[in-house]
Amino acid sequence: MKKIFTLFVLLVAGMSVLAQQNNKTPSADSMLNLLSSADAQHEQILPAFNATRLIFSPTTETVKKNNLNFLIIHRFGDMGTAIGGFRSFFGLDAVNDVYLGIEYGFTDNFQVSVGRNSIGQMGETQFKWALIHQSTDDHTPLNLTLLAGEGIRPYGSFASFGDRLSYIGELIISRKFSRTFSFELSPVYVWDNQPLPYVPGNPPGFFALSTAFRWKVTKRMSLIADYEHPFSSFRNNSGNFEDPIGFGAEFETGGHVFTLNVTNARAISQINSLSNSTSSYGRGQFRLGFTISRMFDFNKKKTSNNY
Amino acid sequence: MRFTGIVLLVWMSIFQARQGVFVCKNAHINIFSSTPIEDIDANSIKAVSVYNANTGDLEFSLPVRSLHFQKSLMEEHFNENYIESDKFPKATFKGKIQSPPDVSKDGTYPVIVTGDFQIHGITRARTISGTISVVNGIVTLNSEFTVKCADHNIDIPQIVFHNIAESIRVRVSGTYAPFKN
Repeated sequence: MKKIFTLFVLLVAGMSVLAQQNNKTPSADSMLNLLSSADAQHEQILPAFNATRLIFSPTTETVKKNNLNFLIIHRFGDMGTAIGGFRSFFGLDAVNDVYLGIEYGFTDNFQVSVGRNSIGQMGETQFKWALIHQSTDDHTPLNLTLLAGEGIRPYGSFASFGDRLSYIGELIISRKFSRTFSFELSPVYVWDNQPLPYVPGNPPGFFALSTAFRWKVTKRMSLIADYEHPFSSFRNNSGNFEDPIGFGAEFETGGHVFTLNVTNARAISQINSLSNSTSSYGRGQFRLGFTISRMFDFNKKKTSNNY
Repeated sequence: MRFTGIVLLVWMSIFQARQGVFVCKNAHINIFSSTPIEDIDANSIKAVSVYNANTGDLEFSLPVRSLHFQKSLMEEHFNENYIESDKFPKATFKGKIQSPPDVSKDGTYPVIVTGDFQIHGITRARTISGTISVVNGIVTLNSEFTVKCADHNIDIPQIVFHNIAESIRVRVSGTYAPFKN
């Protein structure tokens, strides 16, 4: 009797263990989910923008670590005024501003850029630091990037060396609303030791706001628009100044990003375009422009052998 | 007591049979594309896999974003333009090993697995060969196969046609541990 009882207990115990096993051993499918659910937390979204710049505004993107971005930016002459028209092929014979520059990523989130503008022969150095990245689960809903830059005009007559210097600070906030639509809004502060234009009543520093969007039409082509407004009573009251507005198309061709745009502002650097934009669409003072950005990667080759 | 012994043995064997589930949380996936112009190479060690040694059921799941490329721009383009990993975040394989080997014995067993391979939202039935090796009771799986970009609607535009191969070599290797609750 004792034997049978032991047998019975063992059987019951065995069954219960089996039952438990059945409950606890989920199907392979859910087991995979169980195993892989942990990795996808707060994952960074795919980049909100293809390039580090739109038309005037920098984007929240930075050049990745050990990458060098070479930039050529052009603004041509007026299309619709006397100097435009068919004779100059809508302003292509005149060049209003050219920017040549490089951007280097020291980390995936920090880049330094150096470049030169034709307007004012201004050399520019900028530091850009991506602080926050939007995540796929909206744990962080925005991208936040800080930009600090300095401009120097080595030529021309200035009272002192300090007067040649100007500064820009910017907090770039962007959100990728969908796979195709990204929007950004950036409060900007510009300080110019010798204000541009150098006329009485023009204060050296002012706030501005720049806003821009990218709408991806195809995998490789996006439409972009960029608008800037300086909050400056001097500029509002004088009646000469215009807010820079630009429209463009951005083409991405693996390694290159090519932007074709139309703007009223002549200047490429935000220090210049925010301070001193007087050309207006209404008077035919708009121009063709382009940006070529070419990325070079200096990361050492990783092979699967030494992975 | 003899009966008890037999029952115990039977019970143990049933219990044992339920044990043959193995998991791997860090399978290594390597993809490789070779053209005369450039070689493209990416690795991930974040694939997860479940293998049931009793039934031969084998599954893999790879978060596509975990594949890291030599060039950061390649990685961006891979995710954004080719695999569209924001739409299709995972590459998966669900299949069955034909005549699963006895993993309680050490050895190297060539295996053939048939099942569904999915990437870029497109599923294809595939038959893939590989090896299962058991060394000191540790189960390792290795396989190599090719994936045709066109089979999974992965468009390669003209401009980079000479840079990206039409067939991508995929290497998989995973070391498994018995599944524990």
